[in-house]
Amino acid sequence: MVTFPDNSKEFEINEILKEVIDPELGINIVDLGLIYGIKLQEKMIFVDMTLSAPGCPLGDVITNNVREVLSREYPDTDNHVELVWQPTWTPSMVSDAGKEALNLM
Amino acid sequence: MIGLSTQRAPSPSVVVPHFAFGAISFLVLAVLLLFSGEDMMGHYFNGKILAITHIATLAWATMIIFGSLYQLIPVIMEVALHSEILAKIGFYIFALGILGFVPAFWMGSFGVALLAPATFLLLAISLFTYNVLRTAFNAPKRSIQAIFIINAVFWLLLTAVFGFLITLNFTVPFLSVSHLTFLKIHAHLGLVGWFVMLIIGAAGVLIPMFLLSHQLNENRLRYALYLINAGLLLISLDWYLFQMSFLFIIFSLLIVCGIFLFILFAYEAYKKRARKNLDIGLKHTAVAILVVFLPLLLALFLSLNLNMGSDFISRMAILYGASIMLGFVSSLIFGQTYKTLPFIVWLARYQPYVGKKKTPLPKDLYSEKLLTWQYYSYLLAIVLLFLGILFGAIWVIRAGSMVLLVSAVFYNWNIFKMITHKTQLSDLKTIKR
Repeated sequence: MVTFPDNSKEFEINEILKEVIDPELGINIVDLGLIYGIKLQEKMIFVDMTLSAPGCPLGDVITNNVREVLSREYPDTDNHVELVWQPTWTPSMVSDAGKEALNLM
Repeated sequence: MIGLSTQRAPSPSVVVPHFAFGAISFLVLAVLLLFSGEDMMGHYFNGKILAITHIATLAWATMIIFGSLYQLIPVIMEVALHSEILAKIGFYIFALGILGFVPAFWMGSFGVALLAPATFLLLAISLFTYNVLRTAFNAPKRSIQAIFIINAVFWLLLTAVFGFLITLNFTVPFLSVSHLTFLKIHAHLGLVGWFVMLIIGAAGVLIPMFLLSHQLNENRLRYALYLINAGLLLISLDWYLFQMSFLFIIFSLLIVCGIFLFILFAYEAYKKRARKNLDIGLKHTAVAILVVFLPLLLALFLSLNLNMGSDFISRMAILYGASIMLGFVSSLIFGQTYKTLPFIVWLARYQPYVGKKKTPLPKDLYSEKLLTWQYYSYLLAIVLLFLGILFGAIWVIRAGSMVLLVSAVFYNWNIFKMITHKTQLSDLKTIKR
């Protein structure tokens, strides 16, 4: 799971993305470790993210949800969400809160 | 682009009617079982047993599998379905065929009354096969799971052709071997070639996906494919040429070993899962995989061709078929229904609102309580039914049928609760400002 410095804009965006829930697991995508990177460049937010399985039937629902949340929260800033597959997602990327929800701890 | 599967998903109007028809068929199946207790203790070549078998295999299992496959093929093969119109036309032809075929068996009409709907069934299955194979042809890559599905569809078409030839033979006798031999080949092409191969292909994707299991040994599935294909071809030829030679048990063992490799794959997925809590959908899947040991043992027992009294052997043959259809296949379908249908309905109702409005989750579309009751009543029903058939106890079979009917009512309640779900939205609050 990636971490961002407290009080940074990236940290704030990461917190906001906790609103996006994986509809099958009922856990937010940040705690699932699906967010690989957040970058801010002038008037653009770049989010690199993955899915727990490449053929995930809800892949575009989740990425659209990320776009919608960013557009709503930052109406003056564009966003670009990129699905990436390297490194491959593994359960080790799940946060402690996510592990608790999955009963991994 | 990998992962963007909902853009390739078919419209719900293609998928949902299959689930509705399948669910009602399961209810009808449970009612017919209630009236067929005595028949479950006799020979399987009996109009009522054949009607029940075909309502279970065609109207219930195959119908729901068709609907699920239209939804799952884009996930498994990463390509859109070749033709939605063909899928819709196929549904009506298949449904009409079933509505003629099952009553004909139940009333013991083995002539033209059976042949006409059999023609509809063969046509519907041919359309389905063409649609799936054309879709697979467009797929960017073929995983081992996709190859299982392609093989399963091929065996399904062959099952339908054999079934059609048997019904034709009732009207115009032309087969050089006994229709019972043909019936055995037809049944195994369907049970092993279609259901088992299809389930291994679909479960090979879905089990790891839902359990969040990674780094699994897919070679087990590859060897399972070779073993099951070889075993099925060899038992069919053995039946056709020798009506069961001494080598039959060896050929059966090939299939049993293939299925066992799939069980090992599923067990590895279970051991390596990140999702420790199994919901009832996944528990149903686990039950199916445990139940499959029963038909595997019975298959080996029946392959030995022992002289233990025709009544007992007939009951074991019925138990063998019942444990595959009511145990393995039905439990998997129940489990996967709750992993498929809620998402189909949820996507149709809520996809445009995701991120804009507060939406329920897919699991909120059905009643968890009804599902729990359905799960436990189903478990009780199959235990009673299997024990009743094993010991030839009619009242235990009737009690099992009664409980199965209760389970079918809970299942239908949830299915139609999902299908008739109305959109429920509330406003989202801006988090930051």
